[in-house]
Amino acid sequence: MRDTDDIINSLASNLKPVPRNALRGRFLAGVLPALVVSLLLMLTIVGVRVDMAQALMLPVFWIKSAYNALIAIAAFWATYHLARPDGSEGRFFRVLLAIVFAMAVVAGIQLMIAPPETYKHMIFGSSALHCPFLIFGFALPIFTGTNWVLRRSAPTDLRLTGFIAGIAAGAAGAWVYSWFCTENGMPFVLIWYSVGILLVGGLGALTGPRLLRW
Amino acid sequence: MTTSHSEEALKALMLLSLDGDEAAYRRLLTALRVLLVGYYSRRMGAATKADMEDLVQETLLALHSRRSTYDRDRPFTAWFFSIARYKLIDHHRGRGGRRLAETELGEEIESDFSEDALTARMDVERLLDGLSPKQQELIRQVKLEGQSVADTASRTGQSESAVKVGIHRALKALGEKLRGGS
Repeated sequence: MRDTDDIINSLASNLKPVPRNALRGRFLAGVLPALVVSLLLMLTIVGVRVDMAQALMLPVFWIKSAYNALIAIAAFWATYHLARPDGSEGRFFRVLLAIVFAMAVVAGIQLMIAPPETYKHMIFGSSALHCPFLIFGFALPIFTGTNWVLRRSAPTDLRLTGFIAGIAAGAAGAWVYSWFCTENGMPFVLIWYSVGILLVGGLGALTGPRLLRW
Repeated sequence: MTTSHSEEALKALMLLSLDGDEAAYRRLLTALRVLLVGYYSRRMGAATKADMEDLVQETLLALHSRRSTYDRDRPFTAWFFSIARYKLIDHHRGRGGRRLAETELGEEIESDFSEDALTARMDVERLLDGLSPKQQELIRQVKLEGQSVADTASRTGQSESAVKVGIHRALKALGEKLRGGS
């Protein structure tokens, strides 16, 4: 009993004020530098795609970029809410489904207007085998940064938080990777980018219960 | 000075605490400690007293180090009991009672801690505050937990009629308190 009084006393003395947006600030401080690290890694290890100048004119390049960016934003938003003990993922899974569905529609349209002999290339491209793993690699710095923040927060559903944080890091890593990747097939992006993102999500779901425990 | 355990009172203390008010924080932690003891003792049947005190302390430390995760625009008690619940489940998990914690405890607490149930419970606690400890115990056991008069009598070592009279008086006192609007 006396111990608890001591604890209350020591916690109450030298109490530091908490700024209004402390949690948001910590998220930005943890995630943005990690994103920069990942971008620098991409620039130094593989560099931007060789046909960058033309690619910037292609709608498919920007659709690919938007696919990853939108998933990353939605997942980071949900992660931010899950970092509070009374928070939930909200409508994250519905939003995610809508983004993937929209991408599937785009991929379907691209397949419909393309000649059948190009199907194989649009689905498997020339990098299907290593694309998910490179995405995984570029996602790791962001995964680390996100977990650094979450370990100082108070998530209560550790597996779910780990999973969605992994999706966020994976999608951000995929966005970084998309500056290098020369694939223009939307079916390719729909399949292999998603696999890469899910790999990181799986890592988060596996490590969450241990890594995020507090 | 007694601190009311209502959502508004606790939230007001929390907001002051976040701005660095040490006196408010001391009062808040003292009030939360009482709530935690009540919360855990109702859910840790076989636990020893030392075990429970450990958990209360751990929870107070955790809510201190994680206080930046409180969103000032949302109910305080929901935030607070989410932490209490997490710490309880984590405690059971640590003892290898993982399955128990996730199934039985999970469901029980889920329904117990909807925001409505929470505020209702806080209101009851506030009302009970005005009674003597003995009366509070009787009302809790018989009226809130639904135990029989006979069981309560044998546990408290009173006769059944004494328990009945005690409850009657306590209810009357509560009724007067409600009518008086204090």
